Amino acid sequence: MTAQTGAAPQPPVPGGHVPSGEVLLRARDVVKYFPVGGRGWRGGSREVVHAVDGVSLDIHRGETVGLVGETGCGKSTLARCLTRLYDLTSGTVEFEGQDISRLDRRAMRPFRRNIQMIFQDPYGSLNPRRRVGSIIGEPYAVHGIADGAERKRRVQELMELVGLNPEHYNRFPAEFSGGQRQRIGVARALALRPKLIVCDEPVSALDVSIQAQIINLLSDLQHEFDLTYLFIAHDLSVVQQVSTRVAVMYLGTVAEVAGADPLYDTPRHPYTAALLSAAPVADPDRAQSRERVILSGDPPSPVTPPSGCRFHPRCPKAQDDCLHLEPALEPRLGDGPEHVAACHHPLADGERLPTGAAVVSAEVTGADDVAASTPPDGEEQP
Amino acid sequence: MELLEVRDLHVSFSTPDGLVQAVRGLDFTVRAGTTLSIVGESGSGKSVSTQTMIGLTRGAKVSGEARFDGDDLLKMDDEALRRVRGSQIAMIFQDPLSSLHPYYRVGWQIVELIREHDHSLSKAQARARAVDLLKLVGIPHADRRVDDYPHQFSGGMRQRAMIAMAMAMNPRLLIADEPTTALDVTVQAQVLRVMRALQAEFGTAIILITHDLGVVADLSDDVVVMYAGRAMEKADRRTLFYDNHHPYTEGLLQSVPVPGQRTRLTPITGQPPSLVNPPPGCPFHPRCPYAFDRCHEETPPLRPVNMSPTHVSSCWLPTDPAGRAEARVELARRRAGTGAA
Repeated sequence: MTAQTGAAPQPPVPGGHVPSGEVLLRARDVVKYFPVGGRGWRGGSREVVHAVDGVSLDIHRGETVGLVGETGCGKSTLARCLTRLYDLTSGTVEFEGQDISRLDRRAMRPFRRNIQMIFQDPYGSLNPRRRVGSIIGEPYAVHGIADGAERKRRVQELMELVGLNPEHYNRFPAEFSGGQRQRIGVARALALRPKLIVCDEPVSALDVSIQAQIINLLSDLQHEFDLTYLFIAHDLSVVQQVSTRVAVMYLGTVAEVAGADPLYDTPRHPYTAALLSAAPVADPDRAQSRERVILSGDPPSPVTPPSGCRFHPRCPKAQDDCLHLEPALEPRLGDGPEHVAACHHPLADGERLPTGAAVVSAEVTGADDVAASTPPDGEEQP
Repeated sequence: MELLEVRDLHVSFSTPDGLVQAVRGLDFTVRAGTTLSIVGESGSGKSVSTQTMIGLTRGAKVSGEARFDGDDLLKMDDEALRRVRGSQIAMIFQDPLSSLHPYYRVGWQIVELIREHDHSLSKAQARARAVDLLKLVGIPHADRRVDDYPHQFSGGMRQRAMIAMAMAMNPRLLIADEPTTALDVTVQAQVLRVMRALQAEFGTAIILITHDLGVVADLSDDVVVMYAGRAMEKADRRTLFYDNHHPYTEGLLQSVPVPGQRTRLTPITGQPPSLVNPPPGCPFHPRCPYAFDRCHEETPPLRPVNMSPTHVSSCWLPTDPAGRAEARVELARRRAGTGAA
């Protein structure tokens, strides 16, 4: 996932961060708009939510790409575009070199075997009226792969693989705890031995002790089956734990992409730095000693994104050019091609963002008012 | 000075599945002007215990006592409790949208609360106070936003509005039940900062209920770790993170990824226990890597660790550091031995 344009040659593989695998999924200028409200009463044009606004991203075989950002930044929408659960407004998605962005349901079917998804809410994504065996076996039924005793055998194998008791084959989802339900979701995603699994906040709804179980399970399965993950989360420490590379999204665009460690050590984009400094750390001394950058306000409305750099209304480093000129996603300050940031005034190594001066009433910016005009999660409803 | 003293609190609910023992003998104290964090996983009883104190768990069987400023909240009648609630003890919840009435303007809801508890204020005075409160928690253009409806506020603003409402009567205790769980990290940082500033300014004591150890590390003086309706360990913040005694506390901390370290996580194995049939002995023994015979039979009391007056742990491991370290190595070794056999 780099900043090069569609026809550009393969980027050099950054040392240690990208597995040597070829590009498995390539997205170019993916755009997804959702119309909001009705037509203006004088027949004006319809407003759209710019949920994903020109994202290019490569996912290499065998790696785990983390995708982070605040609510409403478009990370889930992007995931659903890449898996073709949504149709794209424009742009292309290639899987193993084939353009899948315009395929219809039928033509898409063979690709569905290779691209699976795990969802955040382990209960909401399981049909409560069906038995676990039939939920996990559903992909076999859809694709006509195995039936009868053979299907049952395979499902029980999967259950064992993800740490469920195969004897619970005939139970209902309600009889399982949250962590076990997420294991059911993982087993279902694995059934067809996919190449890519998109995990959309897979551990956000789980307790910490169970979260760690699922993270370890996903990592074991990755090694065993040579899986590639796109891992979406808002918890930065979880993302760093699992990812080889991380992409930071802000308001429908990618702000920064880098290997997990460089991103955390030397963030270039002020938004990345602010996100990192806001994340709570379970260590009192570190929590006390580090400087906090507290962003003012909330992300602006994706219906009318700000001009120039979308982050400029909240950015402590914003200058005049940020208001007018949209920054390209490219290497900054001598970084290699594997570390790209969309910022005119990137942070130098060790540079700190100015911390907010006023304590409580610092948020007198325009950003809050814009955000208030649409519900923050408006993008989730197409 | 102790503002709130909870002793031997039991709360249980009758359900079709049997009697759910949500809280089973909980003790804790909150000192005036300080923050006590209650941390635990889903179903550990952390929310139920505080909700019971302020009369929000109807139909529950309750015993024990909760002395707030000397008066037992659990013995108060509805009317007395209602007077305490809102003016002396305020509460904010996880989901700020469902705590605000969608049909009324935000300012109106704050005015309503102020006039309910202080009849001497006129509408105009109460409204001016509402604007001040919204300013205090950092709502921009508070004089205009006071007339907005809750849906016109973003998630972080709603939670700040809830804090404004909670602070309206200048309460002595604020119970914050997962106040930032539904918020993004950047907004969470804003809300925590507001809470910290208000505590510094007004000396409000806070009970912070959370499952997020990062928030605990950030904003607490003392910490209670709960599991299956009981306190497993109580300590000041630094002791809890750096010198904890209970294997459950240790397990929780090892489950959290640490930024900058990518070692494999060590989860706590197994699932939390049923509260209808809690395990005999120590409730954590089925998941504990160091459990031995006594843990299966006898429930450990909270014992001082290393003779400290403030650090207590409900675990049968020796309470002196050397003995505990030795016992843990020995037990882990024995356990590994039987596992392999």
